[in-house]
Parts: sequence; C-alpha cells; structure tokens
Amino acid sequence: MSKSRSELGQILHGVSRDPLGLMGLIIVGTILFCAIFAAWIVPYDPVGMNIKDRLQGPSAAHLLGTDQLGRDTFSRVIMGGQVALKVALPAVFGAMAIGLTLGMIAGYGPKWLDNLLMLFFDTIRSFPTVMFALAVVALIGPSLQTVVFVVMATSIPTYGRVARTQTLTLRNSEFILAERAMGASMKRILGVHMLPNIIGVLAVLAAMDIPTVIALEAGLSFLGLGVKPPTPSWGALLKDGYSLIRQTPWLVVGGGLPIILATLGFTFLGESLRDVVDPKLRKQR
Amino acid sequence: MSDTLLEIDRLSVDYETARGDLKALRDISFDIRKGEIVGIVGESGCGKSTLISSILRLTAPNTRFRKGEVRFKGQDLLQLPEHKMRDLRGADISIVFQDPMQTHNPVLSIGQQMLDIQHRSQAGKVEKRARAAQMLGAVGIPDPEARLEQFPHEFSGGMRQRIAIAMALMSEPDLLIADEPTTALDATLEVQIIERLQELQQELDCAILFISHHLGVIAELCDRVVVMYTGAVVESGDVREIFHDPKHPYTRRLIDCDPGHIKERARVLPTIPGEVPDLANLPGGCIFRDRCDQAVPRCASEVPPLSKLKEGHHAACWLNHEEVHQ
Repeated sequence: MSKSRSELGQILHGVSRDPLGLMGLIIVGTILFCAIFAAWIVPYDPVGMNIKDRLQGPSAAHLLGTDQLGRDTFSRVIMGGQVALKVALPAVFGAMAIGLTLGMIAGYGPKWLDNLLMLFFDTIRSFPTVMFALAVVALIGPSLQTVVFVVMATSIPTYGRVARTQTLTLRNSEFILAERAMGASMKRILGVHMLPNIIGVLAVLAAMDIPTVIALEAGLSFLGLGVKPPTPSWGALLKDGYSLIRQTPWLVVGGGLPIILATLGFTFLGESLRDVVDPKLRKQR
Repeated sequence: MSDTLLEIDRLSVDYETARGDLKALRDISFDIRKGEIVGIVGESGCGKSTLISSILRLTAPNTRFRKGEVRFKGQDLLQLPEHKMRDLRGADISIVFQDPMQTHNPVLSIGQQMLDIQHRSQAGKVEKRARAAQMLGAVGIPDPEARLEQFPHEFSGGMRQRIAIAMALMSEPDLLIADEPTTALDATLEVQIIERLQELQQELDCAILFISHHLGVIAELCDRVVVMYTGAVVESGDVREIFHDPKHPYTRRLIDCDPGHIKERARVLPTIPGEVPDLANLPGGCIFRDRCDQAVPRCASEVPPLSKLKEGHHAACWLNHEEVHQ
C-alpha cells in the first residue's frame, strides 16, 4: 500500500504546484477540516435558541450574528458544511461507483446490454432533477438520505455515459488488442488496463460535480425539500436569510459565502487534478 | 511431420458485409517448422492482417471461417473453445504489433505492464520484477531496473518496440508473430530491431512469422517466404529460391519494384500497373491476370493451383505448367 500512498503524494504535490490548484486544495482542506471537527469548533449549540439575542449583527460573541430564533449563525454555517459534505460525498462517490460499473459493462459488453443500459440512463436523464426530487420527497418525506438518493440517482447517467464512451474508445485501441493477443481475460482487461484509464477522467468529473451537488442540496433545502428544519444547512440558512433580508443581511452572507467558496474550491481542485492525473501531461509541467 | 509447429491448411475466410461476402483469404496453405523464420510479403489489403487475426482468433465479429484448418502443434485452433484459445495467446503464441506508439497502456508504468503480463506465473512480485528487468536488458534497454518505473511516453519509438518484443518473448513462446514490427520505425532502428530479433530467436529457439512489405528485411531475416496477393498465396519457398528465381510474375514485379534492387537512377520508381480486384466480386481465373504482362488464354478460365515446382518451392501460375508452352 506504500506504493499508492506515494502516488497520492505525487498527485498532491503536482496540484500544490499549480496556484489555482493550491487555492482549491486550501479551500477544500479548510472545509473538510471544519466539517470533521465541527463539534469542537462551534462556539454555540447550532440548534440552541436564545430569543433575547435574535437578529444580531456580527460581534465578538457572535462572529456572523444570530438568526430570528437567536441561534449563532457561525455555528450553523460550520455545522451546515458538515451536512453539505454528508450529502455530497456519498452521493457523488456512490454515483461514480455505480455509473463506472454500468458504463464499463455497457461499453465492453454485448450490443443488446449496451442498448438496455443506455435506455436506462436516458430514462433517468429525462426526469428534471428538481421534479424528481419533489416526487421522491412527496413519497418518502424530506431527509438527508432522500437528498443523497435523489442526487445519486440523477447523476449516475452522467458518470455512466462518460465511462461508456471511454470504454468504447479504449476497447478498439491497439494496446487493448495487444492485451487480448497476449491472453488477458475480460476481467483483467477491464480491471487492470481500462480502469486506470477511465478513473482519472471520472475523478475529475466527480471533483467538479461536488459543488453542483452542494448547490443542489442547498437549493432543495431552500425549497424546503432538503434536510428537516432544525438541522443547519447552507440552503436553509439562505432560505431564512431571504425572508429576513430587510432585518439583517448576515444570514444570506453566512449561507451564500460558503456555497460560493466550496464551488470555487472544488472546481479549482478538479481542474488541477485533471492536468495532474494524466501522465502524458505530467512530464510537461 | 513432428517438427511442424503451425500448419495452415486450405484456409478460407470471408467478411460478411452489406455488399456481399468479401473473400479476404482463399485457400491459404503453408506451414512453419519449429525454430524457423517465415516471412509473409504482400501489398496492403492482401490479407496479411486477416491471416494474423485468424491464427490468434481475434477476428472482427463479421468474420466467417468458410473452410480449412489452422493447426498449432496438431490441434485445430479454429475448433478450440475460447478459454483454451486464451491460454495459448501470450503463452505459446505471442505477437508484436506494427505501431509501437500504440501498443502500451499509457497510464501504467512499463514495470506494472510487464508484471501484469506474467499473470500466469506463480512467481512472487520480486521474481517477476527481476524477470521483467532481465528481459528489458535482453532487448538492449540500458539501466532496466530504473526504467521499469517509467511510463510509455518516456521512451522513444524504437525503445517501445523493443519493450514490446521483450513483453512478447517473456513467456518464451513457440511462435512469435511479428506484424510489420519495423514499418513505423526509421531505417537505422529497423536494422537494430532486426538484429535484436535474430539474436533472441537463436537464444530462445522460437519460430517467427514475420510480416512485412520490405523485401530487404525479409531476405535478411527469413528462412522461407510466402508471397500473398489479394488473399491468396501466389508463391512460397526458400528465401534464396524466391529472390533468385521467382516463378510467379507478381513476385518478379514485386522484386523489380523494391528500391533496393534498382541499379540505375530513375526519375520515376517502377510500379505494378493496374488495380487490385474487388474482393466482393472476384473475376474468374487467375486473380493477377489483369495486371500480368504474360497472361495467356488459360489464365482467364481457370484458377492456377499452388503447385510444387521443386522441393521447397511452390507457385500458382499457369506459365510453370508444361502444356502452356507447347
């Protein structure tokens, strides 16, 4: 396993040499750190109410002020980050794993299976995400798991199609023919030779997809379809802030800024990753 | 015939297309003995690639084996179940492809690929690595241990082809198929690769099926040569025989067209006039008839059989038959 660690080290080193990549790394690192250690960072209980101190501006006691129920906005932003990642990471990696598997099967398997899987992908893609979310929420009620499920289900086709296209291009490439001519089994061709060629592209896609998912979670929460009310989420913060914008602007700032930062950070990281994971580009840098 | 390794017996292969069946190979027969180097010459589209993919059974889905057998050590490869065929590939029969820039996985290091190709071996990782380094050394890659860490794009074309040869010979196969291995390389590298192949062939005593359209290379390397034209064997025999006393007009013209054989300076290089016939709609009689300057009436009516002229020399031309000259 020391080998893969050194490879990860190489990739991180490559990313940090690119100024945008370094910025992305710092932002993403900060968000991850805050999310993991949220319980120790928050100065107040993020759901604890204090009606006396409601709708305050920033102060030494409340860094980003308080909301209409007197809850500390800064604590809610930090906790909201944890919620955002709890939705984004499992949804994106789940979708990537399922999409990758189905896409490679579609690309390498027989034609009828390919047609069947493509029909499946196109069927899912034909649902607008938000409408699909509405239907699912109406069916099983709003919760963190519902959001994860909706996001995962709707992004499987994106990963599946990219993996399928890559597999189709690769299966006719000469080095795969060479592998077949040297007696490699289908399992070996897919697992050892195609996977490393596809995973880089998908990892970049996933890194760029995380901010979309965070924004989608915020959007669903904004519509009241995401996580349930007392749980802090960036989208819920925005929603509260939107209705209270005349009393205090700080809720909108507290909810909006992290969404923007997370989007930028993950996008920078994704773009930088794309350049680094391609060994052909690695040498030229 | 215990020393015969590969025997291709009256093999006919068609491609099913919308225009009808393309008769890619017709009645191909030749054999390769153990430790022998056999060359196949012919212009583009003569069925060389179809022949290779038929031997390895890596054909396109629209391929139909109409007739004949491909016997390797006595068993017909065309009848073998797929998993048995897979066991042969890369173990008993190996192949080196034409374009060294395309034959390696771009995202895996050479070491990873050379380890993976030993997947049948029970040896440990350290042993496999040592074997990989030893093979790289054998094909003349300096500092093989360190170079195992590098990726394909960090090697030159000639080095990549030598790595491909190292990978193909790693399992010490009985038969190595070399599909125009030097066509994509320049002339100096070509000589290096040919010399390296010759050395390794003697060391490992494997047979080589060498496909090329470079007559000079064939003459240099091979023991015997098979001349193909539009999916059929027109002449086969010992290299010396074929080059000094060609018995088929096509072979004669091919040798005349080889730049290495032209003695005088010429403004225009000689070519064979005419075009290759349509494989979906073959004319009757001899297929080379339309381009042949020595055609006789019989060429239009009957296909000349590949007949034995003397020990180790076969040709398919009516001109070699007594009755035509009477």
